[in-house]
Amino acid sequence: MSADELCDLDIKGVGQAIQRRDVSSVEATEAYLRRIERYDGVLRAYITITAERALAQARAADEELAAGHRRSPLHGVPLGLKDLIAVAGTPMTAGSQVLAGHVPERDAFVAERLAAAGAVLLGKLSMHEFAFGRPIPDGPLATGRNPWDLSRVPAGSSSGSAVAVAAGLCAGALGSDTGGSIRGPASFCGIVGLKPTYGLVSRRGVVPMCWSLDHVGPMTRTVWDTAVVLQAIAGHDPEDASTSTARPPSYTRSLEDGVRGLRLGLPRRYYLDWPGLHEDVRRAAEAAFGELERQGARIEDVDAPTLDLAPAIWSPFLAEMYEYHAPTARERPRDYHDMTRPRLYMGALFTAQDLLHAQRLRARLAREVADILRRVDALIFPGQAEPATRFADVKYTELIGPSIRYTLPWNLLGLPAICVPCGFSRGGLPVAIQVVGRPFDEPTVLRVARAYERATEWHTRRPEPAGWVLS
Amino acid sequence: MKSEEDLRAQFDAELRVAGLELSGEDRERLFVMWADHLPHRQALRDAAARLEEEPTFLEKPTTSGASS
Repeated sequence: MSADELCDLDIKGVGQAIQRRDVSSVEATEAYLRRIERYDGVLRAYITITAERALAQARAADEELAAGHRRSPLHGVPLGLKDLIAVAGTPMTAGSQVLAGHVPERDAFVAERLAAAGAVLLGKLSMHEFAFGRPIPDGPLATGRNPWDLSRVPAGSSSGSAVAVAAGLCAGALGSDTGGSIRGPASFCGIVGLKPTYGLVSRRGVVPMCWSLDHVGPMTRTVWDTAVVLQAIAGHDPEDASTSTARPPSYTRSLEDGVRGLRLGLPRRYYLDWPGLHEDVRRAAEAAFGELERQGARIEDVDAPTLDLAPAIWSPFLAEMYEYHAPTARERPRDYHDMTRPRLYMGALFTAQDLLHAQRLRARLAREVADILRRVDALIFPGQAEPATRFADVKYTELIGPSIRYTLPWNLLGLPAICVPCGFSRGGLPVAIQVVGRPFDEPTVLRVARAYERATEWHTRRPEPAGWVLS
Repeated sequence: MKSEEDLRAQFDAELRVAGLELSGEDRERLFVMWADHLPHRQALRDAAARLEEEPTFLEKPTTSGASS
């Protein structure tokens, strides 16, 4: 197997190759490091590459395997972390000059868990500044280019995580999601991205955007990969009071159970009938829903009237973001990117009454959706409104774009939400469907996503490295 | 529909209340973003909540909601 063939594999493939001793973890790590060296100057997925640490972890993984000990399916597998997840001794920027020189002294909970599962950390991945900045193609804190078309954004804020996974610069990654920052990049880059239930994955050691909306989750090439990464990072953390004390179930046990007999709700009015939905996305999503029906799922239209208010409800929570940044923004405003500062200040312009009113309406939306999820097992709808947009078309003075209606309601409600590739636009860009489930019902969300994935081959397609050249 | 002059007066007042003292470009970019977002904020403020609608979220689930 060549190095490039290895980097084309998913987590399962890399992990099994290491387990079978077809390749050592050190050899796999070196293959990824060479690929990063070759392509990341253009793709800009990484902010920090932790080559020495990675090779040391890989050697340890190989030694353990030689001694007959395999920690998990992630044993020896090279992964990347969004650069707002703390790793002791490794610089962390959160995509900002504000944190220049910052080196955490302690691992984030999720970094500890991945290391305990035997994963190898290749490095820290680029992102939109503090998870709410805008895409930046160049400069020391560039946010990454879409490997399917370098002139287009990979979406954000977990941009580098999606670019690295899609381009084979790591086998899998973690991102974070406050309004769609895992699912947007996953959709734009043709990979799988899961925002878990609020409280399933600890955020200790993760730079916050909005505490009550932030989620950490896997970004991978397949649903199975997402399930095994989730298995590694899910669970109670006594130092994050928002985490559930319930023991997580197996996320792979029911993965292949299919959708026969499942009831799926389609919020047609809010999502499919919305005039901003790109025709190519609509067509691919409808075909995907047809495939799920063909497999025996029953799809019915559902509606939650308060979804119309979801972007308006979400916005005042930016006060949480401003509260976190206010002291720094007052003392060192120029350390934030010019296009980030206005977005930051917007958080100061909502009143306490706005935020509390939003909380009341959020509760209404939660009740409406809970009623729906008593009748159906999960919701299905498009992952994003459109395929990846051009850097040149990014609206830098827009607080929230239209596509965010596809993702942010599920942050407000804390429900598990996964995006899985469902085809390509006529222009050759990936598009996705999204599955949302009941609280802590990741097994059903993953099962639906997997049922669709296994009937299609979208997840096996890779962007062409020959195109990774800047003109 | 407010005139730009009225909008700018409202914006200036809101900046004062928030304690934000901004320079030229920052102030202008924020104004454009704020004005663009006003319809969302107004929609929120126009949406009446019923008396019994408290700002409580769903109870924190402590067990799996899995149906499978």
